[in-house]
Amino acid sequence: MSLNNIIEIEGLHKSYPNHKALDDINLSIEEGKVFGLLGPNGAGKTTLIRIINQILQPDEGIVKFNGEILSRKHSQSIGYLPEERGLYKKMKVGEQALYLAQLKGMSKKEAKEKLNYWFKKLGASDWWNKKIEDLSKGMAQKIQFITTVLHNPKVLILDEPLSGLDPVNSLLIKNEILALKKNKTSIILSTHDMNSVEEICDEVAIINNSKKILQGSIPEIKESYNENLWTVKYKGTQMSFINAVWGGWEMINNESINDHTNQAEIKLLNDFTINNFIKGLIDHVEILEINKKSPSINDVFIKATSDE
Amino acid sequence: MNKIGLIISREYTTRVRKKTFILMSFLGPLLIVGFILLTAYLSKGNKEKYEILVVDESHLFDSILRNSKKYHLQWAPNDKNYSQIQEIFKKDEKLDLLVYLPVNLIKTNSMTAKCLYKEIPSTGAQKHLSSIINEAIELYRVSYNKIDISTYKSIKTRINLDVVDVENKANRNIQRKAFVGIAFAMFIYAFIFLYSVQVMRGVIEEKTNRIVEIIISSVSTFQLMMAKIIGVGLVGITQFIIWAIVTFIMSITILPTIIPNKYSPSIQMNSEESTDLLNQSLNIDPSNETLQFIIHDIQWSYMVIFFALFFLGGYFLYSGLMAAIGAAVDEEADTQQFLLPLTIPMVFALTMAGKVIDDPSSSLAFWLSEIPFTSPIIMIIRIAMGIGDSSVEIWEIALSLFLLAITFIATTWLSSKIYSKGVLSYGKKASYSDLFKWLKS
Repeated sequence: MSLNNIIEIEGLHKSYPNHKALDDINLSIEEGKVFGLLGPNGAGKTTLIRIINQILQPDEGIVKFNGEILSRKHSQSIGYLPEERGLYKKMKVGEQALYLAQLKGMSKKEAKEKLNYWFKKLGASDWWNKKIEDLSKGMAQKIQFITTVLHNPKVLILDEPLSGLDPVNSLLIKNEILALKKNKTSIILSTHDMNSVEEICDEVAIINNSKKILQGSIPEIKESYNENLWTVKYKGTQMSFINAVWGGWEMINNESINDHTNQAEIKLLNDFTINNFIKGLIDHVEILEINKKSPSINDVFIKATSDE
Repeated sequence: MNKIGLIISREYTTRVRKKTFILMSFLGPLLIVGFILLTAYLSKGNKEKYEILVVDESHLFDSILRNSKKYHLQWAPNDKNYSQIQEIFKKDEKLDLLVYLPVNLIKTNSMTAKCLYKEIPSTGAQKHLSSIINEAIELYRVSYNKIDISTYKSIKTRINLDVVDVENKANRNIQRKAFVGIAFAMFIYAFIFLYSVQVMRGVIEEKTNRIVEIIISSVSTFQLMMAKIIGVGLVGITQFIIWAIVTFIMSITILPTIIPNKYSPSIQMNSEESTDLLNQSLNIDPSNETLQFIIHDIQWSYMVIFFALFFLGGYFLYSGLMAAIGAAVDEEADTQQFLLPLTIPMVFALTMAGKVIDDPSSSLAFWLSEIPFTSPIIMIIRIAMGIGDSSVEIWEIALSLFLLAITFIATTWLSSKIYSKGVLSYGKKASYSDLFKWLKS
């Protein structure tokens, strides 16, 4: 075990009467990092999150929190924003936030002080005596976010935290997540929003059909899915470009920018290097720009889950 | 405050602060008092007076059939036959009943008198008519057989049977005490369903607004379920205490002013009705005697203690099951299929109450008061009828409470299994096979 791992999962199995939700999952989540938990719908992410939150018990395997076997005492160190979320509609905002904070082990006094700070920060100070049913969906989600982070959890589990939010509120919450990241809060982020993953996450794991199929840092994963794709912007005809170099590459796409300028997307095969390609090309067309095309997390996700 | 205490407190305070709770705290006793008044009013009968047309074929009854203001008799004309008189009766709106006394009625015991009605007469009226006809026939036969009327009166008896327990002379006429038991049983029935349904609604609310997942990330599903049951149970106890206090205050302040004759011994004893009662030996009036009986003959301390124990036992038993039902569905409309099997035992218990009162020592009474799904209702009726040899033994009560507690623990354990799976199962209407799978897993 690495000393820096806040959560370690070893050999986790979980089955429901009609299907297997998790099959031998091993994961380690480094302290102070944002960990993206990705996977298609029904892959087993929510089951895994529920096991970390002790809502469900695994059939086999162990979960360690900060080196200790996960137990009820750790629930106070975890903040959880579930995908299926909501609050008591008839209860007043302040009263409800206090209740949820106390359930996470805070004293009433401490909770009140922190709530005042967060309500002010997210512009919710006037909502204290309103009922949840009188708030908009976005406002209610802000309250829910506050109640999740209020007790300064060591681990924050956010399941689709931005879904249902308008662009303004989405940016607001995203910035708060980034601020928490800066403060070294360990965050498990489960989302289908791949842009957010690239923006926020340090490391990701992809679960598909109840198995972990991939884990690593964003650059590592991108590199492992690198297909040696390049974009070449050039002046000259497409025919000249194609005939310049024989073998060792293939054209994926060619786009005409104007009468004399094109942009080609190429894939280098086997050991054929970009230098070899440029050497052949340079006498036939004028090279304006060459860039290596790195796969996005979205590309990696699609490739990884469709390969399975 | 620990987390369980916190949840109990939330469940309790959010409910007792509701306007409906405050309203029901005062409306409930009003409804109870109103119900008592309504029952008293209805038991008197709707009709103040009956106009009765009598067809006396023998012409022997006119001088001996007792007439009264309330049951006013008038004689059908002699020149009309029975079918013509029926037509007169149908047309005359003032006439309520037509009594037909066939010619041989007075002489033989095989004939039957007939009473035709437009609106069915009360059982009291039927008994009165039967009584005065029998009385008239007896008087005729006394005179016909030349028996001295004072001799006849001395022979004529109206004896009430005083049924007394040989071991405990205080236990007498225990069937009458059952009325108090029935009232308590009705309260138990109403409170168990009222508050266990609240538990079910609370579970559905937490499930549909999705907050349950956040709560059970801090406490276990079993703790949440138990805290909810305890919190709502405390609301029930609070409501009952308020009802008891308010009803008591209303009973001693409002009731005597509305129906003073029911509470005044002097007026009661002199009333015409009470003398009429002598001729209606089976009619029990909610009179002063009844009040005396209620105050002195019922073992109130036992009633209160066992009411609390059986209410709580029954409530815990049913609310655990209701919580499981709430967890299995997404909306209240889907609960019907699961609620029916739960309501049947309690309704069955209420329907069997009559047979239990009739013979409180029977094996039917014993089993219904031991089976935990019916015992809260039946046992309280048997307790009201007297603890001891007459109705129920103390060991039977202890066994019943023990079985109730064991079953409560078992059903709560089973319910918590369904509950823990059900609260996380969204968007699918659970079937019985789903519940079975959840229990097995």
